[in-house]
Amino acid sequence: MTTPAIKVENLCFSYGDIEAVKNVSFEVMPGEILGFLGPNGAGKSTTIKVLTGQMPPKSGRAEILGKETGRDDPEVQAQIGVCFEEKNLYLNMTALENLDFYASLFGIKDADSMEVLRRVGLADRAKDRVHSFSKGMRQRMMISRAFINKPKVLFLDEPTDGLDPVTSAAIRKTIKEEAERGAAVLLTTHDMFEADELSNRIAFINEGQIVALDTAENLKLKYGTRSVRVRLRDGEGVREEHIQLDADGTSSRLAELAASPDLMTIHTEEATLEAIFIELTGRGLEG
Amino acid sequence: MSRPVSRPAIVGALLRKELRAYSRDTIYLLLTLVVLVAIPIAFIFLPDSVDETLTLGVAPPVSDLVEDATETFREMGATDEQLAELRNADFTEEQEGLLLVEFETEDELRRVIAGELEAWRADDGALVLRDTEAGDEKPNDAERLSVGIGIAFPPTFISDVSTGREAVTVTVYSDADVPEEIQGAMESFVREAAYQLAGQRLPVTLPEEDFVVLGEDRMGDQVALQDRFRPLVLFMVLLMETFSMASLVSTEVLQRTVTAVLVTPARIGDFLFAKTAFGTAMSLGQALFVLLIIGGLTAQNWSLVLTVLVMASIMFTGIALFVGASGKDFMGQLFYTMLFTIPLLIPTFAVLFPGTAAVWVRVLPSYPIIDTLYAAMTYGTTWADAAGSLAYAAAWLVVLYGAGLIALRRKVASL
Repeated sequence: MTTPAIKVENLCFSYGDIEAVKNVSFEVMPGEILGFLGPNGAGKSTTIKVLTGQMPPKSGRAEILGKETGRDDPEVQAQIGVCFEEKNLYLNMTALENLDFYASLFGIKDADSMEVLRRVGLADRAKDRVHSFSKGMRQRMMISRAFINKPKVLFLDEPTDGLDPVTSAAIRKTIKEEAERGAAVLLTTHDMFEADELSNRIAFINEGQIVALDTAENLKLKYGTRSVRVRLRDGEGVREEHIQLDADGTSSRLAELAASPDLMTIHTEEATLEAIFIELTGRGLEG
Repeated sequence: MSRPVSRPAIVGALLRKELRAYSRDTIYLLLTLVVLVAIPIAFIFLPDSVDETLTLGVAPPVSDLVEDATETFREMGATDEQLAELRNADFTEEQEGLLLVEFETEDELRRVIAGELEAWRADDGALVLRDTEAGDEKPNDAERLSVGIGIAFPPTFISDVSTGREAVTVTVYSDADVPEEIQGAMESFVREAAYQLAGQRLPVTLPEEDFVVLGEDRMGDQVALQDRFRPLVLFMVLLMETFSMASLVSTEVLQRTVTAVLVTPARIGDFLFAKTAFGTAMSLGQALFVLLIIGGLTAQNWSLVLTVLVMASIMFTGIALFVGASGKDFMGQLFYTMLFTIPLLIPTFAVLFPGTAAVWVRVLPSYPIIDTLYAAMTYGTTWADAAGSLAYAAAWLVVLYGAGLIALRRKVASL
């Protein structure tokens, strides 16, 4: 049986009186991407901080590769890669120097930093100082830094936040490659499309608690409604009709519409992750 | 694939990174340039010796006073030989720290002291007066005399005083810069001369005087301004470095790069050790470099001076850690740097302007550092003499460095 790369049991953390993480439990297997989907302040980043050893848990248990976190264990730290939400790079150092420095902290003597930069499309800017980089380039630097030690566990905190679609797509591609290599990825985001596209499973987190955890398909099946959207000519205009597939009389109504000369289009409608999140929590993902 | 990495390897990587970050920052480089070039150059221009000679102007010339009083001296029992010797004596030769400059008239004396005329001594000993406003040329082969104080006697001073014929007025002219002590001494000199000439004793009974100098007698070997400034210069080097170091720490905290470092095998202890080692090495290295330029190390004092500088470097690194952890931006950092450094500078003035330092000055952390540095470099203080100061400095070192460590550790933990 494969050991989970990340195992969290009843994890709690609070900032003073404010409970940021409440009894959170989940597992991430090697090669799996778990999307942590939730609005700002939901507890996503705090969970990552606890798991990466930046803060000790108040209670509960968290393990990385079978070893408890929060014990300042260099062996565990050597196996993780972290992409922070803040672009905390050494701005006065070049891209190559940044990566070489972090490689040396991991004890990697023959780090192929150029290859890592090539993967994120920054090889031609390797010798430029990071302060001259655009926001997107800095984000790609953040990703490349998280990859430098070929980690077994990757923590990616909002890796495409505020980026243009092209850069976001490039970053998602590299994340998928890392998972295919065998890395367990914990991805926090409030972008439902990103979570949907990348994640094997998705955890909805709200007010420090996981409110749902499953594959995107299962979540949609479980919490969404199956329906079709029909567009019909209506005199000079167009009218729309939403038909629940599981409702009584749906088959006959669909047959009737199919035969209608006013029928323009029929589209299947799938519940979005955001709609499910709203249904579960009563608030949106951007909140 | 990563392998287990040793603590020294991590600290080494952090130190290389610190050096790179330091060398890439324009402000740090500018400060370093100031420390390594500007400060030593400014130091070189400071006087390296103390002129202890008192230049005293006299009008009219002593020979004229003597000539006028020939009969008076005869009446007092002086022989012709003694009178001839007195007439031919050269009073303008420097004797025991007193240089007499003779002016023909009181007006000349007054104008020279007022700065309206320049007094020059030619190679042949003649006095040349130069009126710059009148366009007088600068005399060749002559040395400028700085006459700050002078006494104008009436031409019949000696005979008038010795015979007690009439009230005599003697005017002491003094530049405002001349210390009050010297002005007072001149007045006393005139008064005593009058008593002597009148054949009277002072109306007091003077006790037997036994003048004992406690400690090293610096008569004729006073501490030059350069020597006084040496600890101040070293202190300035440490201060500049403190600011640079605080900036490095602050940048790391504000940009949260430290967070990225601490999710690798590097621990907070590695981070703090690297910061301490780098800050201390930079402070000490620059202080030693400057010390080699400005001098002050001898075969006798090098070990004590070096020890004090190491302690000071660690102490200031502790301050830099505290400031770096506390300042939220450049201005905040500047504020905290000033908050620490201004009080710490005060003891250097106690060295510049000697006298008994107030108790509260002695309490300041920098006092034992500066006091020991000054004593070691100026008076050759021994380890035994400095033991108390060193112990006191060590106590402050522990407090300040500890505060810096705790502040930075807490700050990093809160990120």
